[in-house]
Amino acid sequence: MEPSRELNFDALVIGGGIAGLQAALDLADQNFKVAIVEKDATIGGKMIRLSKVFPTLDCASCITTPKMAASAHHENISIFTYCDLTSLKRDGQEIKADITQMPRYVDADKCIGCRQCEYGCPVYVPNHEEGNFNFRKAIYIPFSNAIPQIALMDVENCSLCGKCAKVCPTGAVDYFQQPEDFVIRAKTAVLATGFKLTPMDQKPQYGGGKIQNLISSLDMERLLAPHGPYQRVIRPSDGKEPDSIAYVQCAGSRDKTLGVPYCSRVCCMYAIKQAMLLSGALPLADITIYYMDIRAFGKGYEQFFQNAKAMGIEFVKAKIAKIEQADNQYVRLRYEDQEGNGGVVEREHDLVVMSLGMVPDWNPAGVCDVACDTDAFIKSTIPSLAPTVTSIEGVFAAGVAIGPKDIVDTIAEAGAAAMEASKYLNALENPKAA
Amino acid sequence: MSTKKTAETEEPRVGVYICHCGGNISDHVDVKKVAENLEKVPGVAVAHTNMFMCSDPGQELIQEDIKSGKINRVVVASCAPSLHETTFRGAIKRADMNPYLYEHANIREQVSWVHHGEAATAKATSLVTAAVAKAKELEALDPIKVDAARHATVIGGGIAGLRAALDLAQRGIEVALIEKSPFLGGQAANLERIVPTGERAADLIQDLAAKVMADSRIRVYTCSRIVKSEGYVGNFKITLKTQPPDSQADLEKLQEVAAKGEKPGRFVPFAGFLAVKVPTTASEQVLDSGAIVFATGFSTYTPRDGEFGYGQNPEVITLPQLIRFMSQEKSRGRSLTINGRTIRRVALVHCVGSRQIPGIHEPDADGGLNEYCSRTCCAATLQAASEIRERYPLTHVLEYYRDIRTYGRGQEEFYERASENHVMFLRYEPEDPPQVERLSKGNFPLRVTVKDTLTFGEALSADVDLVVLSVGMVPSRIADLVDMMKLPVGADRFLQEVHPKLRPVELANTGILLAGTCQAPMDISEACNAAAAAAAKATSLLSKGYVELDPFVAQVDLSRCKGNGACVAACTVDAIVMQTVEVDGQSVERAEVNPALCTGCGVCVAVCPENAIDVKGWTLEQYEAMVDAIVAD
Amino acid sequence: MSADKANSNKGKILILATESCAYPGANSVGQAHSPYPANTYILRVRAPVLFPEKFYIDCFRKGIGGIIIMSCGEECPYEGAYHALAKRIDNVFQMMKAHNLDIRRLRLTAICTVCNRAFLKEVNEMNKLIEELGPPEYKEAA
Repeated sequence: MEPSRELNFDALVIGGGIAGLQAALDLADQNFKVAIVEKDATIGGKMIRLSKVFPTLDCASCITTPKMAASAHHENISIFTYCDLTSLKRDGQEIKADITQMPRYVDADKCIGCRQCEYGCPVYVPNHEEGNFNFRKAIYIPFSNAIPQIALMDVENCSLCGKCAKVCPTGAVDYFQQPEDFVIRAKTAVLATGFKLTPMDQKPQYGGGKIQNLISSLDMERLLAPHGPYQRVIRPSDGKEPDSIAYVQCAGSRDKTLGVPYCSRVCCMYAIKQAMLLSGALPLADITIYYMDIRAFGKGYEQFFQNAKAMGIEFVKAKIAKIEQADNQYVRLRYEDQEGNGGVVEREHDLVVMSLGMVPDWNPAGVCDVACDTDAFIKSTIPSLAPTVTSIEGVFAAGVAIGPKDIVDTIAEAGAAAMEASKYLNALENPKAA
Repeated sequence: MSTKKTAETEEPRVGVYICHCGGNISDHVDVKKVAENLEKVPGVAVAHTNMFMCSDPGQELIQEDIKSGKINRVVVASCAPSLHETTFRGAIKRADMNPYLYEHANIREQVSWVHHGEAATAKATSLVTAAVAKAKELEALDPIKVDAARHATVIGGGIAGLRAALDLAQRGIEVALIEKSPFLGGQAANLERIVPTGERAADLIQDLAAKVMADSRIRVYTCSRIVKSEGYVGNFKITLKTQPPDSQADLEKLQEVAAKGEKPGRFVPFAGFLAVKVPTTASEQVLDSGAIVFATGFSTYTPRDGEFGYGQNPEVITLPQLIRFMSQEKSRGRSLTINGRTIRRVALVHCVGSRQIPGIHEPDADGGLNEYCSRTCCAATLQAASEIRERYPLTHVLEYYRDIRTYGRGQEEFYERASENHVMFLRYEPEDPPQVERLSKGNFPLRVTVKDTLTFGEALSADVDLVVLSVGMVPSRIADLVDMMKLPVGADRFLQEVHPKLRPVELANTGILLAGTCQAPMDISEACNAAAAAAAKATSLLSKGYVELDPFVAQVDLSRCKGNGACVAACTVDAIVMQTVEVDGQSVERAEVNPALCTGCGVCVAVCPENAIDVKGWTLEQYEAMVDAIVAD
Repeated sequence: MSADKANSNKGKILILATESCAYPGANSVGQAHSPYPANTYILRVRAPVLFPEKFYIDCFRKGIGGIIIMSCGEECPYEGAYHALAKRIDNVFQMMKAHNLDIRRLRLTAICTVCNRAFLKEVNEMNKLIEELGPPEYKEAA
């Protein structure tokens, strides 16, 4: 299929998470025209899905939504959501991106985000945004503060009953919408493709994803979010309020057997943060964090960790060897005691959270020939002095795309990538000045 | 322009536009009824309803009424202002009316989605009437434009300062790089190799510093410090004093450099990059600068006398001292030798001067504790451990640690390598730190004893030839600059950003930015990222040649001001001063607002006994008018 | 639904909601379609510190039954403003007593952008209170 249109920008940002938004804003504020291409139906990335963020305990939504709104309203930024990047290549003086607009089955120009379709839709689907803890409809807006506020249809689950089309006040529902290919040409690009969690089903010792009440750290973020699925913390299997909650640190980091030898940098801190939030939500619950080393290295992090200890959160130095289902849907942890009397110890908890690590969300193979390291993150070619420079001229990277990091470091790095991109643009415009 | 003028002088004629939002509003609010109610409100010229006000036809409706002269104020009643306030302001601007003559009424999120029936219609009427009341009080506003010098001052010539200076220059901004010592390169000059890349620190500094020196847009002022700073974003006036070096450390380094016959333009290990000839006479100059980038860096923690035996035993040294000894040690023996002494066993102690805990650690002379982690010491210590083991296989290494924090990409490998190199790890709790004691007899000078939590709290003693303390980072001493520029400092005594995520490289003082370890401990790559991010912010501020600021700032009504000064005392950002003005031939004191400094918080409004000060666009009168409208029905 | 027959006699609640926290918080309640009494009027403010003591007293004099200040709390973007506000509210309480006004008619709270439950709790509690207290019996201070 021939691309329907070709668009030109100064800079192209791949990924609309916090790294991409910050890079786009820093470029747009320097008066460059920026396109953000996002694969999801909304911008905001992982951060908008978090509860509160360490070490300030600000609510994640309060910090992310201003940046989302600033990007959406910025006269120099154009946002393309629900788009698939099929190719990103240098083409002479330019970076050429082939992009497919995935069909929402809703006309984005007509949809006013009123959610009448969503209310009318009779089909309930487990809501992945909420850790599958509750349900959404087959036509829906991803979540309340999504940007753009445009509905999308989940055709795999749609029963084609036609109700949404009937109730839509603007006639925006379009069952016959087709994918649309288009091209973006830009002079520079920033890769801000982010991360996903280390898959939890890869480690047989940890139950291969089949143990009840063993949840991922992002699932716990949703349970803790003020607008989360239950608006309180309960055990998913039976709705019991948990009395005893445990965190398994380095579940999917510092583990060569998973191909993840590196430290994911954020898990210690998010576990401590969640533990603190839990002790606020469930004051009587016992909370234990099983760890190898507590890595509270950022500004204000160590103090945060010491506060958590003072609050009575239990820290046990141990690498969990095995996780099993125990009776009554409890979760049993087995580890070697390092600090007590030694030997193998078993303990059971109501609810266990795996502090999963970060792996890259985007595999450039076949799409973009940017060099990656053995750990699959994008390679930084000037790692000390200009960490955002990649192997392709004029293409920069920021955030977890070039290695695990927390939000603070990600935002700084996004600013740095914007600086590199703006210098590159400046040099193109004024070859003599560079 | 004519429309703007008439809008202020003519009687207000408000156009009211009520959105159905395709049923979202009109299913619960009788929008027709609201429009009818509003038509009766004095000052309302037209009241329309429309299916989608945000659509092009909706916006055109407003524009036609403006162009035909029917209206000179606009109220749109629709969804939350965060969604479409900018849309409607834009539409009004395109119709050549001042976009601030606009008020938004939120009747979706705050009415139709939460109330039903008559109550919803009644509340919508009240809110729109209140918006009309405010709209009648609105005045035309223009963004405040402040001319900005396309010039930035970078304070500190370490890696972060060099990086920021280069970035700014490459975006066409003139830069003054100010460094108090004769050398560029900062603390990195005291390193041999960078963890984890293995690059030589010398190469990195030489590379950056040479580029800085070659860039005609950067002026480097070494042996210089700021003695005075005035002004605000876009227009800082910075007085700089350059004088011959007088610190002992600088003089020693200069002697060494002279002894080696090194000339300016070269990096000298453990000194830095000698940028220019050192001045022989003192001089002062004033720079006009648009923005200031702080890159004042850190110093290494100096252990207290007796802390782990430091200062009392020559065999107790710090990690930077070890790195320097090792770089100078050219012997090829199978044991490390330091000052001619063979080191058979060395103890490396982590977290010295970092992660201090109240009640356990002793506060310093200022009563402070370094409660933070210094971030870089674990990896640096592990690298030193492996280097010793690999170069000097007969020297044994023990590491006393609390947590190994090899968090960075490529750092975990250093931990593993140290283990493979048979470095022995012992883990201590902060309340039971390793004890270093001097041995009067026997083979070794020192004994280190620790309660090792890895072996069930057993007390383990090791006799060693050398104890190396992994000292943390403390912020550079910049109390003079902090006082002079009124900079916010955190409890950790580093400079405090506005918000770690929203505005991580900005200080509350507009136009002053943060680069690197003056903000918190960081490694070189992180400091370079922070520096580049700060440069990006400075470029955004300065590249246009002017700074545009929000028009919502305080303004003084001189006909009411009696000069009592309450506002001056209340202002937290020093944006208001008393000025002498002539009133009826008399010299009197009156308040004056500097819009470039005002944040529009309104703290001055509340304290003025004469009601003589207001925040533009959010005035007390406007709010009172809204309350009157709400209580009226 | 009790929320529907809200308006007329029951006294009105004025809510001063900060632009960066509480106002979007109120919108979030709307997005969740959680009903609350309709006798609530939310004014968007940059920082509630703008209002002098007299403003509050005037509101009660004009017949406002209750005022809730929904601020950003300690996270206030304006340095020092929250503490200045807290101090001012103490003054207002003193003045309210002098004017025969129950000081529970004024509440200072912190509401964030997704604090739906906290918002609803504050509004419902204030509504219940002013229902009990009836209209403010404002008296000129002695």
